Amino acid sequence: MELLTHILGAIATVILAFVVGMSYGGIVRKITARVHNRIGPPWYQNFIDAFKLYGKTTAIHHGWMQIMGPAFLMVSSVVTLMFIPVLTNGGWFPNLNFEGDLIFLLYLMVFGPLGMALGAGQTGNPNSAIGVTRGLSQMVGFEIPWVMALVALMIQFDTTSITGLMEAQAQSGTWNMFSSPFAFIAAVLAMLGMFRYSPFDIVGAPTELASGPVSENGGKYLFTMMSSGSIFAFVKLTLYVDIFMGGADNLVILLLKTFSIYMIPVLYGIVSPRYRTEQAIRFFWGWPLFFGVLALIYASIF
Amino acid sequence: MINDKNSQKIVDIIQNWARKQSIWVLAYGTGCGAIEIPPTMTSRYDAERLGVRGAATPRQADVLLITGYLTTKTLKRVIRVYEQMQDPKYVIGFGSCTINGGMYYDSYNTIKVLDKYLPVDVYINGCMPRPESVLAGFGKLQELIGNGEANGATKYKENLEWYRANQKKIIPNWVMPEYNW
Amino acid sequence: MEMIYLIFIIFLGGAVATYLLGKINGVLRDITFLATLIVPAVLFYTQVSIGQTVDFSMSGMNLQWGITDFGYIFAYIVLGLGVLAGIYAVAAMKGKENLGFFYSNYILSIMAMMGILFSRDLVSFFIFWEIMTWSSYLMVVFSGKDVQKVGIKYFIFSAVGAYAMLMAIVTTYSLTGSMMIDSLVTAYPGFDFSMQLLIPILLLIGFGVKSAMMPLHVWASGSYSHAPMAYTAVFSGALSKMGIYGMIIVIVSLVSQIPEGHWFREVIAWLGGITAVGGTLWAVAQDDAKKLLAYSSVAQLGYIIVGVGVGTPLAMLAALFMAVMHGLFKGTLFMAVGAIEKQTGTTNFTEVTGLIRKMPLTFLASLMSIIALAGIPPLGGFIGKWMLYESLVGSDHYMLVIVVFFSSTAAFLYCYKFLFGFFLGQEEPEWAHVKEAPAMMVVPMIIMAIGSFILGVFPGLILNPIDAGLQELGYASTQGRYWEMSMLFNEWGDKVVLQPILYTIIAVFVFFFVFVVAKNFKKTRYVSTKDISSSGEIPKAHENLTFSRGFFQPFLRAVEPLMKHQIDPLYTGFGRGMEAIFDFVRRIYTGNGQTYALYAIIFAVLLLIFKNQLFGL
Ligand code: SF4
Repeated sequence: MELLTHILGAIATVILAFVVGMSYGGIVRKITARVHNRIGPPWYQNFIDAFKLYGKTTAIHHGWMQIMGPAFLMVSSVVTLMFIPVLTNGGWFPNLNFEGDLIFLLYLMVFGPLGMALGAGQTGNPNSAIGVTRGLSQMVGFEIPWVMALVALMIQFDTTSITGLMEAQAQSGTWNMFSSPFAFIAAVLAMLGMFRYSPFDIVGAPTELASGPVSENGGKYLFTMMSSGSIFAFVKLTLYVDIFMGGADNLVILLLKTFSIYMIPVLYGIVSPRYRTEQAIRFFWGWPLFFGVLALIYASIF
Repeated sequence: MINDKNSQKIVDIIQNWARKQSIWVLAYGTGCGAIEIPPTMTSRYDAERLGVRGAATPRQADVLLITGYLTTKTLKRVIRVYEQMQDPKYVIGFGSCTINGGMYYDSYNTIKVLDKYLPVDVYINGCMPRPESVLAGFGKLQELIGNGEANGATKYKENLEWYRANQKKIIPNWVMPEYNW
Repeated sequence: MEMIYLIFIIFLGGAVATYLLGKINGVLRDITFLATLIVPAVLFYTQVSIGQTVDFSMSGMNLQWGITDFGYIFAYIVLGLGVLAGIYAVAAMKGKENLGFFYSNYILSIMAMMGILFSRDLVSFFIFWEIMTWSSYLMVVFSGKDVQKVGIKYFIFSAVGAYAMLMAIVTTYSLTGSMMIDSLVTAYPGFDFSMQLLIPILLLIGFGVKSAMMPLHVWASGSYSHAPMAYTAVFSGALSKMGIYGMIIVIVSLVSQIPEGHWFREVIAWLGGITAVGGTLWAVAQDDAKKLLAYSSVAQLGYIIVGVGVGTPLAMLAALFMAVMHGLFKGTLFMAVGAIEKQTGTTNFTEVTGLIRKMPLTFLASLMSIIALAGIPPLGGFIGKWMLYESLVGSDHYMLVIVVFFSSTAAFLYCYKFLFGFFLGQEEPEWAHVKEAPAMMVVPMIIMAIGSFILGVFPGLILNPIDAGLQELGYASTQGRYWEMSMLFNEWGDKVVLQPILYTIIAVFVFFFVFVVAKNFKKTRYVSTKDISSSGEIPKAHENLTFSRGFFQPFLRAVEPLMKHQIDPLYTGFGRGMEAIFDFVRRIYTGNGQTYALYAIIFAVLLLIFKNQLFGL
């Protein structure tokens, strides 16, 4: 019985993440359009796109790794989702999250992109490989301030578990974004790179690299990537909300919080052009790194 | 269950609706008409509100947009791109040049009638067509897709011999992978 | 007869026998070689128990051999890797010249490593250390290429390390009058401070050379890539671990007298951190797989040194676990490179591409090892990294965490480069003839890859002996505090449960595997890698579209300031300076008896003048 609720809860979580992630994607398209003074597609446009992609035939493959790539990505997204506390009290979403660990999560998150990178590699398209190398380079860039922020939190609250951090916030009554502001700033700056909106959309630059790693993937491949990308976006947003904004008690608050934090990279991205790869890396080793160091100092002193 | 005829019909209807609402365009900027694509896509005419969106590679695209005259040299590439696209796929001929040669009707190095080489679903006429007419063209394509009548790809598959013969007439040294999906 | 003697006798006899048989019969030689590896391994695991010792005296010195808990962990690496790489070597080296010599050297290396693990006294420790150095040196120059550059470099560094170690041993003897390692440990707190510092530093130089610690690492990339790959698996996987073994057994038991957080420990830890970053960045820049793996070994050993330097129980646990894991996955990777070299004749990423469909099993083994190397769960590499981070955060080494994290994130770059460079990308007609490596090469690789998976899920299998070894060194038991069979706790009691994670991953994976892969694979048709969307062009068969040159150029451009400073030129400069000095010295020795007489007189006069200062008379 308990197993059944676990499985049902897991399925519900995946569906929730999928729906929310997809809708956010659509809303972002709408917002971008409004900023451009356009009308823009309806908010559910991403669902239509996904459905259409699923309906397309997938007639070719370049080898089994190409097929495995999207599967890896999906696995990674779903498994990561299983470790994120969606709501503070568990609620309908009883996942593995109470045994989760932040460092574990960081490494688990890499699993998918690496598999995806392998899949993109097998297609043999040079653009894919170039996109992957850019993505990995950029990851090295933003991971440093991001980890600094996390380590600062770990020091401050003597725990590495996400639930531990959430409890600490519940006890003190303030969100971490106020009690450790430098860590928050560093993490948010790292987030710009993590979500790959402009100016950090160097991976899938459509005009430059023909959409980079996905350039050989259409149809069901692209559907799998798109939906796992949406789930992953939800995962990352929930993680930010959990560790910096005290988590959420119910779904409405969760949506509010995730959406508001999502707007940071989106709005920053709409008005930005694109960086070159080394500029992007150097960006993260500038101010974000500085704030990361400040966060570490702040955490070890207080 | 899916094999059942009636439910297949329902699935078709839903899928056609989705296809019609989500059109990813690979704009192959062959001729001068390509200049009309940016205004169509950006703020002034905003094709995205109809679900029309640019695609980066043929693998992801639904619609191949041939914007204007097609030189004999480019034809090979266009055919290649078309064959790399995944079903269901559509072709829009854009501008008078694709219909009958337009102002290049007597040119030695452009093809005159696109339909002889690729199965065109919708033509947009004009030299060059304004964004309004481009949008109208997309609207027409959506209508056809919705009714399940935009089946250029099937036509291409069925009459492959004929198309190939026409194509080979233009392209003397034919080295292309077999088209078999 | 004592089993320990028997093991060594088999090793020695086997080494001689293989060498002689190598001149007579190939098959017999191979069989003897394998038997010499497998029989002692079996004997060791069945007959030798922990704590068993044998004493004997040699020219008035008491020697003692015996295996400790702690040595037992390293014996896993040495014998396990030794046997598997031995099987691999038989297939990989087939048809090469001078094989008897190779095999007997191989056996000698394994014997020397076992000897180091058995030695309870410094004399036999040193003797075995020298045997190890010599046999590995002979392996490095085995190919006969670039002996001047690579071989000499390795030799000089080893010699420097050996002299430093010898000095430490002699000093110890003069201070304690005993050669036992234990007596050094017990007497250590009584030394005065300069000795307390001198001995560990000398030993650290000796061990640091073998474990390729910065700034003593410069020999590593050349030597690792020049030795035959079958041997490099052992070289990097096990032999370098002897440096770690020595570091732990001597330095830690000595330095544990130095309080935690003492600057000496910090220096070691930071040297490890710098080693990790430097090794990783240089690995990213390499275009040759052997060099890449060599630098990556340097980086991985850096992590281990960090753990040893920090020295909390959790950090030690992490370091030792990573040592075992490194033996597993790096051994596999070197073997994979060896297989590729055998099948294609080159190991350069810019030349070989698209082997995935030709060598799928090698790819699978490499993929698993790369996942372990990158530290991605659920494979074993993650456990080590996780514990290392936890221990660093827990012991307030905040900046070191960032350094280690940077290096292990940057490691993804070369991981991808390795997989992409060899296996993915365009399939060129040039390599169309390539076949999968022979079974004898593939099977050891697969076994080791599976091993790293098992250790990822059941870390307790290896953490148990490590725990026993650590207790022997005087650490509190970490069992129940930091790990269970399938569970890991950190310093603050937060836990990671490995089994549910595994189940989740497997369940989800199976689901998507069935959903996407099985369904699509049948339905879809294979097209060659020339059939890609390249702006409508149709690449010709000979057109090379592989992207392999300047692979991480933007990244390297971004980290350029970090990589500007190289230690190599410094050593070269040092060498030049030495040459100048020797030149000068040579000029002093003119060969003229008169001049020598003059020197003698000057020396005597100086002695007279300064005798008070010199002898305190
Ligand atoms: S139809 Fe007119 S605008 Fe279009 S390509 Fe032809 S000549 Fe140019």
